[in-house]
Amino acid sequence: MTNRQKIDVGEGAAIPTRNDWGLFNAWMISLVGAVASILYLLIAHPEPYRRLLVYLGDGIVITFKVTIASILCACCIGLITGLGRVSKNKVINLIASTYVEIIRGIPLLVQLFYIYYALGRFLNVPDLTAAVIAMSVCYGAYMGEVFRAGITAIDKGQTEAARSLGFNTRQTMFLVILPQAWRTILPPVGNEFIALLKDTSLVSILAVADLLRRGREFSSETFLYFETYTMVALVYLVITLILSKGVSFMEARLSHYVRR
Amino acid sequence: MSAANSQPIVDIRHINKSFGALKALNNVSLSMALGEKVVIIGPSGSGKSTLLRSINKLETVDSGSITVDGQNINDPGIDINKLRMELGMVFQSFNLFPHKTVLENVTLAPIKLKGLSKSEADAIALKLLDKVGIKDKAHVYPSRLSGGQQQRVAIARALAMSPKIMLFDEPTSALDPEMIGEVLDVMVTLAKEGMTMAVVTHEMGFAREVADRVVFMDHGVIIEVGTPEHFFQNPENERTKLFLSQIL
Repeated sequence: MTNRQKIDVGEGAAIPTRNDWGLFNAWMISLVGAVASILYLLIAHPEPYRRLLVYLGDGIVITFKVTIASILCACCIGLITGLGRVSKNKVINLIASTYVEIIRGIPLLVQLFYIYYALGRFLNVPDLTAAVIAMSVCYGAYMGEVFRAGITAIDKGQTEAARSLGFNTRQTMFLVILPQAWRTILPPVGNEFIALLKDTSLVSILAVADLLRRGREFSSETFLYFETYTMVALVYLVITLILSKGVSFMEARLSHYVRR
Repeated sequence: MSAANSQPIVDIRHINKSFGALKALNNVSLSMALGEKVVIIGPSGSGKSTLLRSINKLETVDSGSITVDGQNINDPGIDINKLRMELGMVFQSFNLFPHKTVLENVTLAPIKLKGLSKSEADAIALKLLDKVGIKDKAHVYPSRLSGGQQQRVAIARALAMSPKIMLFDEPTSALDPEMIGEVLDVMVTLAKEGMTMAVVTHEMGFAREVADRVVFMDHGVIIEVGTPEHFFQNPENERTKLFLSQIL
């Protein structure tokens, strides 16, 4: 595929191939800049940066845990919600739509407080679980809309072709529609992943010791606010940049059947 | 007009269908005998596609009855998915599954619906692809094929379920002129093998060569039914005459 692209773009013309410019694109500048800054700080000013990074380490792990668990749950909820939103069954459709309306109308931070503090009065939910539930329920609603859009974007002829062969609604959805919808769904879902990762910083308000929370703890002990938040910001940046590249890589893999 | 001695395989009685204010089908009755080739012609918007699509219930009629192979398709107790396996359909816009290779397009339904093993299904599919003259493209994706090639794959895909009846909904209307012939050739071969076919088309040459009966529709009504000879040499109805004078 790479070879073909090169030929298409570059052959016989003085247009640089994608790869030539690749080194200079915005993504690369940001990533190299962020990584270089972190390395520079660690080498040029080992104190406090090395101690700081070690201190933040646990928080990075927690942030990853919350992100991955929430992405998985939110995707499941999103898929179910999306299927509900395109369902011909009026009751299912109404339930899914109501869920989306309610969740989208309440700020994530309020939802976090609600699940953690308000529901905490009746249920004893561990911190991390509460964080994951809140993030998943919230992002599940947004992803439901993305799934719905991706499903409805597939040509009606595909459904008709599948149904005319004898597939039932469910088989049509899972064998024909969804495998094609992933391609339209993935870019916006990727954006949701990245937004979700950044929004996990909100769980630092709860007692979850994520990256930001660890940073707050460190700075309140040492009063090194500038150093702490510079490092926290750089770490978030590096993670989101890598994640966004991963998403576009998956996107390319999923479009293998599309003619270029 | 009904098939004389044998029981019709498709029996459409007094069906009506409206899209909002538009009456797409107005008291239409038509029956087909096993092995019969019926070609439905008429100006666009005359309801011919709607008629064809109601046979496999892609359109649900408002009233009237449709019996396919002895089963009333609007009977709630009927498994429509099972019935559709007997009705192959070919669409104007091909509707191949773009995420599947040509071979996978043809084998998907036999594997998932008939429980064939992959190797059994592959063997059948390759035979069919050979028949429609496109075996060498078995492992490419549909986006790499021309329209004519895609439509031939679509025919193979429908045939893979060994249907009793094939429905063609303007199979050549989306094709470049030079590709129409290759698709019609496949359809003529199929007709000669005795397949029961209902074809909506503007290809009068095909109608003349293949049809047992030609049905002319306009404004949701069947205006005239007859053999190709009757139809193209001395049509009775004024509207039929007018239509034929415009296109021939």
